[in-house]
Amino acid sequence: MSTILRLSLPLTLWLASFSAVYGLHGLLCSSRWTGPDGRWPLIAAALLALALQGALLALIATRRWPEPEPTLHRTSLILAVAAFVGTGWTLMPVAFVSHCL
Amino acid sequence: MNALRRHRALTRIWASAPGWKGWFTSVNHTDLGRMFLTVAVFFFLVGGILAMLIRAQLATPRSAFMGPETYNQVFTMHGTIMMFLFAIPFFEGLAVYLLPKLLGTRDLAFPRLTAYGFWCYVFGGSMMIFALLAGIAPDSGWFMYPPLSSTIGAPGINSDFWLIGITFVEISAISAAVEITVTILRYRAPGMSLAKMPIFAWYALVTAVMILTGFPPLILGSILLELERAFGMPFFQVAQGGDALLWQHLFWMFGHPEVYIIFLPAAGAISTILPVMARTTLMGYGWVVAAAVSLAVLSFGLWVHHMFTTGIPHMGLAFFSAASTLVAVPTAVQIFAWIGTLWRGRPGLHLPMMWLLAFFATFVIGGLTGVMVAVVPFDWQAHDTYFIVAHLHYVLIGGFVFPMLAALYYWMPHFVGRKTYFKLGGVAFWLIVPGFHGTFLLLHWAGLLGMRRRIDSYGPGQGWEIINLIASVSGFVMAIGFALVLIDVIINAVTAIRGSRDPWRAGTLEWAMPTPPAAYNFASLPHVDSRDPLYADRELPVRLARGEGYLGDPARGRRETLTVDIATGAPRTIVVFPGNTALPVLMSAVTGLFFLGMLVKDYWLVPISALGVIGCALAWVWSLGRRAPEGPLDAGRGAVLPVASEVADPPGWWGSLFLLLADGTFLGSLLFGYAFLWTIAPNWPPPAYAEPGPAALALVLAGAALTAVGGRLGALAGVAAALAGTVAVGLAALAVLAQVPDPAAHAYDATVWVLVGYALLHQVVALIMMALVAARRWAGHSAVTRRGAARVARLWSDYAALVALLAAAAVGLPGVLA
Amino acid sequence: MTTLVALAGCEESLSAVHPAGPAAATIATLWWVLLAGATAIFLFVAGLLAWAWRRPPGEVAERPFVIGLGLAFPLTVLAALLAYGLVVGERLLPRGGADVVVVRAEARQWAWSFGYDDAPGRVTEDELHIPAGRPVDVALTSADVVHGFWVPRLAGKLDAVPGHVNVLRLEADAPGRYGGLGSEFNGVGYVGHRFTVIAHDATGWQAFLAGEGE
Ligand code: HEM
Ligand SMILES: [Cu+2]
Ligand SMILES: [Cu+2]
Repeated sequence: MSTILRLSLPLTLWLASFSAVYGLHGLLCSSRWTGPDGRWPLIAAALLALALQGALLALIATRRWPEPEPTLHRTSLILAVAAFVGTGWTLMPVAFVSHCL
Repeated sequence: MNALRRHRALTRIWASAPGWKGWFTSVNHTDLGRMFLTVAVFFFLVGGILAMLIRAQLATPRSAFMGPETYNQVFTMHGTIMMFLFAIPFFEGLAVYLLPKLLGTRDLAFPRLTAYGFWCYVFGGSMMIFALLAGIAPDSGWFMYPPLSSTIGAPGINSDFWLIGITFVEISAISAAVEITVTILRYRAPGMSLAKMPIFAWYALVTAVMILTGFPPLILGSILLELERAFGMPFFQVAQGGDALLWQHLFWMFGHPEVYIIFLPAAGAISTILPVMARTTLMGYGWVVAAAVSLAVLSFGLWVHHMFTTGIPHMGLAFFSAASTLVAVPTAVQIFAWIGTLWRGRPGLHLPMMWLLAFFATFVIGGLTGVMVAVVPFDWQAHDTYFIVAHLHYVLIGGFVFPMLAALYYWMPHFVGRKTYFKLGGVAFWLIVPGFHGTFLLLHWAGLLGMRRRIDSYGPGQGWEIINLIASVSGFVMAIGFALVLIDVIINAVTAIRGSRDPWRAGTLEWAMPTPPAAYNFASLPHVDSRDPLYADRELPVRLARGEGYLGDPARGRRETLTVDIATGAPRTIVVFPGNTALPVLMSAVTGLFFLGMLVKDYWLVPISALGVIGCALAWVWSLGRRAPEGPLDAGRGAVLPVASEVADPPGWWGSLFLLLADGTFLGSLLFGYAFLWTIAPNWPPPAYAEPGPAALALVLAGAALTAVGGRLGALAGVAAALAGTVAVGLAALAVLAQVPDPAAHAYDATVWVLVGYALLHQVVALIMMALVAARRWAGHSAVTRRGAARVARLWSDYAALVALLAAAAVGLPGVLA
Repeated sequence: MTTLVALAGCEESLSAVHPAGPAAATIATLWWVLLAGATAIFLFVAGLLAWAWRRPPGEVAERPFVIGLGLAFPLTVLAALLAYGLVVGERLLPRGGADVVVVRAEARQWAWSFGYDDAPGRVTEDELHIPAGRPVDVALTSADVVHGFWVPRLAGKLDAVPGHVNVLRLEADAPGRYGGLGSEFNGVGYVGHRFTVIAHDATGWQAFLAGEGE
């Protein structure tokens, strides 16, 4: 199971953080939101997600969460990098796109 | 014992009952795989006939062939049948047939569940066919948007057929997915570590987990919509705090992954067939596995790209546009790994390869138009036009049907044990592929010229006539091609000559057996130490037939196979399978009565048939395991292993774990829906929130604690604790419901009812499980043979406790916040 | 009636690739760029594929295929495409402005009612009047099921969802009549769920607002 988790965790984390940021965006633009207007909460959440991915990637790359089988080690590494890049790629709009229009 | 005597002995043990009786009592994966595939092909034909009706209607402007009432049913049923009754079941059938053979084992993890899923599919599918023939089929489009599909837009029974019939069919998808997951993780040939698994198994594993997490949102949505239609619980009615967009989110959270659930098995087949056709091995195995996993997970973050025109703010769309472009990357990795494989090998042009070329030519176009509609502004124009119809058929036919035709021609010698002799297949190819492009290529342009999808007729003078005429004529050419394929298959199945085993000189284990396969697959189980065992050892089939592998001695006279360690593939236990039984077909018939009662609104039938299902399930579980432990047994090749039912994690435990994954996703979707309504729906907050109060909260806490503790106590004390826990949770539930007495008043009240119902249901399930363990104790089962069952019960009671807490928090929180 | 006849004679009255306003024109350009790019990529892939049968046998390395073609190539193309799409998307949003005209559209099965902020109380059925050459914000909602609002020659589509108000920006370059479609399937009357946009010149618009031509 550990092998399976190592393969699937980084992207699952991507999915969770991506959905969370989307949900947060929905909340910030809804009539329920009474706090200050602005994109800073979104940027903070995106950076947090990126940091978590970075940590996970480091764990796998430095073999602190080791995978003995070489092919699968490489595969989990690829997937961790993919999740890291994917987090940056998909959450990039928080910085550039108009947020509640 | 020589090979022939071994074959006879094993056949006696494994064979299905002879004649028609065998169809209803067989639990054998080869039989059920063939039955699944046959029924799926039948539904493809029905869906294809509907497609021809559509093309006939649209061939000329102002067609009077069908009125809109009929046309709407026809296109809705075409889409519904193709997606739910053809594509997914076809994958299930292929996986059911192939997986144990590829993995070097004798059957799937839960043979009776295979049969149960199959019959649910047949009965649910029959409901849909009945609706179609009776002219009362669903008519709101395959994604069934409310309010159009709810009582406002569709007061008749049509939508109920969809909501109830498809949910019934979904049971088969979930069962197959649980089974496929457990089989791939645990039921492999000894020595087959994860990294040595055939690539198809990786794809099937990924697909199965996607079904477990992708289908629950749809099942939830269908239940909510049916509750709205039947009892007025207003989840999607804006005036009472619901929101039409909630359905769209739930549907597409399923609907987008669905497309990849369809494509990934096809990609698995391509990754298997293409290297053999090129006489080499797959380039970049590790990369391809990574691509499959990323495609699977990424596809769960794309759903809003079906909702680009619903008025979501641009940043929200941007997230999903970005994710939708990103998903093209793992697709590209696979495509180029395949092309690289072809470069590396010496590709021929046998029929399977021809179909793979058709796949490339078509799917690449579909992928490119997919990237186009991922660009938000372009989708604002293309959405809901024939551009989308064309795109989706390029992807579905190019990405699923063509690879499946490759698979059909590749594995046909295995299915029927004969050489393909008649050459109708080539003619069919040249009808289908040009016919397909003739049908759909120009329809992209029709869409840009303003032709909306789902219109039942159109006027002349928009530049659409010639395009539609070409499309219809080509559509019929394609249909003739499919008819030829069918004839070809039938002829090849009944006539022609015995072929050689392994006609393609492939390396995977399904060719290490005589064809057509025997009921037991392998006379003895191989020890695998390479990804292509047949390349490593050409003599392997003979040695297996001679009984040189594991479990080659049928002396114990029962159906046995092995389980292995997930990562390393080291052998772990001996599994004893159940024999032929009619229980699955009976249980799915009773399940059908449950759904039928809801459909025709004879609600007295519902509790009765629910009790019937529970009764069947108890009979089912009761027959497992034995009173006295057997201890370790000889497994051949010097291995001595315990029996699976006597270890702490029996197959049922793993099955429960993955079923709980689906169940948890269901709960997650429900909580998502609740949060969504709370933030987005216009008519919120409701007139009043329920406030459980300290007494009810204390009851829930106590109830959850008792349930969880019960799972850890001895059998009898455990039941007592779980019973007390259920009573406590039930009392708390009554207190809450008393505060929101009318579930039809507001979407909030309706949601509270569903949450409470879900929590109570799980309490009852946990209670029944523990009662079963206690009953085993009374019946004299030893502590060793009870251990696995007790652990399964504990899994469910822990989940029930968690659900009670979560539901209580979700019900109480808004009142606290307000 | 005359409208219908006039529309029916015209090949491109519903065509998104014959734009008559800035939003539709921007998207039409986007489409031609997408088409050119996709064609090039398709031919490239087809060429690589065909070469597998033509090339002399020999060793093939994994890296150029998986990393070069599989990762680097799509990432570059997609990054450019995504940026282009988002910039265009930003440009088409309904931002405030001095000369923006606001109209309201309510969809029902199977008709449209239009109201005008500049002429309160004025309601037109199945005909939307706008001034040419000025940005118009259409505030959309629905009285029953989900509908779609689409004037292919002027802008992309946007849904009318019960209980929600969605705002679509459109603009016509020149006075004239433009075909409009209900673009979300809504039951048996779907084909006929159409409307016409009538763009007036400045004087015509003033006359319309003043209630002339009724
Ligand atoms: C056999 C050849 C096929 C033809 C000629 C065909 C034709 C069509 C046409 C013309 C439509 C548009 C109907 C409309 O918008 O009014 C349509 C819709 C659709 N088709 Fe097919 N189709 C074929 C096969 C398939 C297959 C194999 C699948 C899936 C595996 C499929 C899935 C769908 C879906 C999901 C829709 C959308 C239905 C809806 O709008 O509710 N089709 N098809
Ligand atoms: Cu999608
Ligand atoms: Cu739509």
